[in-house]
Amino acid sequence: MLVIPAIDIIGGECVRLTKGEFRSKKVYASDPVVVAKDFERQGAKLIHIVDLDGAKTGVAANKELLLKIAKSVSTPLQVGGGIRDAALAREFLNAGVARVVIGTKAQTETAMLTSLIKEYGSARIVVALEIKGGKLAVEGWQKTLDTDGVDFAKKMKALGITEILCTDVERDGTMTEPNYEFVRSLADMSFNVVASGGISDMKALTTLKGIGLFGAVVGKAIYEGTIDIKKAMDALKPASHLTKRIIPCLDVKDGKVVKGVSFVDLQVVGDPVALGEKYSEEGADELVFLDISASKEGRETIFDIAAAVAKQVFIPFTVGGGISSIEQIRRLLQLGADKISLNTAAVQNPDLISDAARAFGQQCVVVAIDAKKKDGTYKVFLKGGSEETPLEVVAWAREAEKRGAGEILLTSMDKDGTKDGYDIELLQKVSDAVNIPIIASGGAGTLEHMRAALAEGKADAALVASLFHYGEHTVAEAKEFLSARGIPIRV
Amino acid sequence: MNIGVIDYGASNLHSVGNGLTALGKTFTVITRPEELVGVDKVILPGVGAAGSAMEKLKKSGFADVLPTLKIPVLGVCLGLQLMTEFSEEDEVECLSILPGRVKRFRTELKVPHMGWNTVNLVKKSPLTDGVPEGAYFYFVHSYYLETEAQYVLGKTSYDADFPAVVQKGNFYGTQFHPEKSGQWGMKILDNFCTLC
Repeated sequence: MLVIPAIDIIGGECVRLTKGEFRSKKVYASDPVVVAKDFERQGAKLIHIVDLDGAKTGVAANKELLLKIAKSVSTPLQVGGGIRDAALAREFLNAGVARVVIGTKAQTETAMLTSLIKEYGSARIVVALEIKGGKLAVEGWQKTLDTDGVDFAKKMKALGITEILCTDVERDGTMTEPNYEFVRSLADMSFNVVASGGISDMKALTTLKGIGLFGAVVGKAIYEGTIDIKKAMDALKPASHLTKRIIPCLDVKDGKVVKGVSFVDLQVVGDPVALGEKYSEEGADELVFLDISASKEGRETIFDIAAAVAKQVFIPFTVGGGISSIEQIRRLLQLGADKISLNTAAVQNPDLISDAARAFGQQCVVVAIDAKKKDGTYKVFLKGGSEETPLEVVAWAREAEKRGAGEILLTSMDKDGTKDGYDIELLQKVSDAVNIPIIASGGAGTLEHMRAALAEGKADAALVASLFHYGEHTVAEAKEFLSARGIPIRV
Repeated sequence: MNIGVIDYGASNLHSVGNGLTALGKTFTVITRPEELVGVDKVILPGVGAAGSAMEKLKKSGFADVLPTLKIPVLGVCLGLQLMTEFSEEDEVECLSILPGRVKRFRTELKVPHMGWNTVNLVKKSPLTDGVPEGAYFYFVHSYYLETEAQYVLGKTSYDADFPAVVQKGNFYGTQFHPEKSGQWGMKILDNFCTLC
């Protein structure tokens, strides 16, 4: 759950109100830009900014200031207060504001909401649900309507709204406690809920996280010093026992496992099923079979291999190499493969990623990227590294994620087969850019290289070939080494 | 002993079948409720989306029959999620065998929750007999279920705790894929076939 610090603005100054009453105004800082920068420095992942003049009067009096804040920080902003027409919402969204909060006029301007969702996606359009005694409060909370909050939420749901900002007016700025029951009822309706109002301590944040909220706006408690953003985020940091994965990679040519340096000088190292079984017994977390056969007949053998492996190996395995159609993917999955890896075909026909994700689920679509540094930037290469494309690696990884890739198998062509270590810079760049798992590939020469890829490189899995194939290390040795160095590993 | 594996288009059907074969069990793939005659136990596999899965189960008639079964039933991954009352995925009414609902992970962690994670066994059951506490299993899912604590046999943590193994009477379920979880996954499949 995100801890979202709030900046409320009246007359260009950063203020706090109690229960939304303007006469209770307390000025905390004269320059909201400085406050936003400070929140950014403390590590906030989203900052909530409200133009209270706008909320009250319907005229966005502090618009220029809000746009200035958007330019001054790179932390995503959620902006509200007086956004009553689509033009103003568009102006903020186009200026880089991550999310706009639509309040007062939302219930009547449904066409505006639907068109904004269509243009920007539902994740960027937040509907403010402001509650006073279970009823909607409007116009800077000066008025209450005779509309039930839950009924209103149902209407919003029908319009395609997924994001709700729920504020309990009677608790806002009171440093008491949030309205847990009401936000729970919204979370149970499958909204991404941000709670606001009355969140004064860590206990409240922990309870809200337990309810399954998307975020919590914290205002006065931060200004008064009862909640520290950094400490709160550390305390709420998601815990997981999910392990990093060690994945032996078996390059298959005409039915046999081979290994070579930078895709040339291939040597046969064994039978795919026997090797797969051996690695599985040693504790491999997954297996990858990449078909590098040149002939049509050779490529047909991968289907037999998939079927044979599925009958004898009971850990997940991925099949890749030359896959270019939904029919091939269906056949491989039916034979028992868990995932398929797309490379050249995904670049030539990106719709294949989306089609496969839609037909079989995101979890089974791995997009393999062969990367090579050219004049300081990482470029995507095709056909086993022989063909350069104009695509930049990070941009292509993002595009693949957007289209429904479940994982990225990232191979450094510069490092592959060299045993010099993984390309840590490449791994970091892509890991930071996408939110799907990254499998590091190319360059493993020592167990320390694997550790570096999983720790510094932030990879979720390490693909290993020759280090295991030539018997330099067993999978079990690798896992013991990594586990002893603090990497979460299944041992 | 004849295990019926329900075919409703889930792509891990064959993986479950391969696991059963490796354990020396006989199984029949069944596509219509009438074929349940002579079946001793049922596995409801699951990879895919809740909406289309429920649609297929309704169309084939399984949706009406499954909740009334008195023989042991094992739901795997989506197969388990479909046993609850409602899923946020596609906002669909499910089989209502288990109380509770299926929710999407709301976390800063990567979703889907994919990979090997531990299971904390909180209650004894024939299904988990001989499985050590903290054993690793393979998970792939973006949604998890919420149900009453009395039905939870094992829990896993991914930001929040969620049920990884459940039982209500003759109905069993695992959120992980036993057919892809190596030694201990195979142990659970074997337990279901021989002990449940």
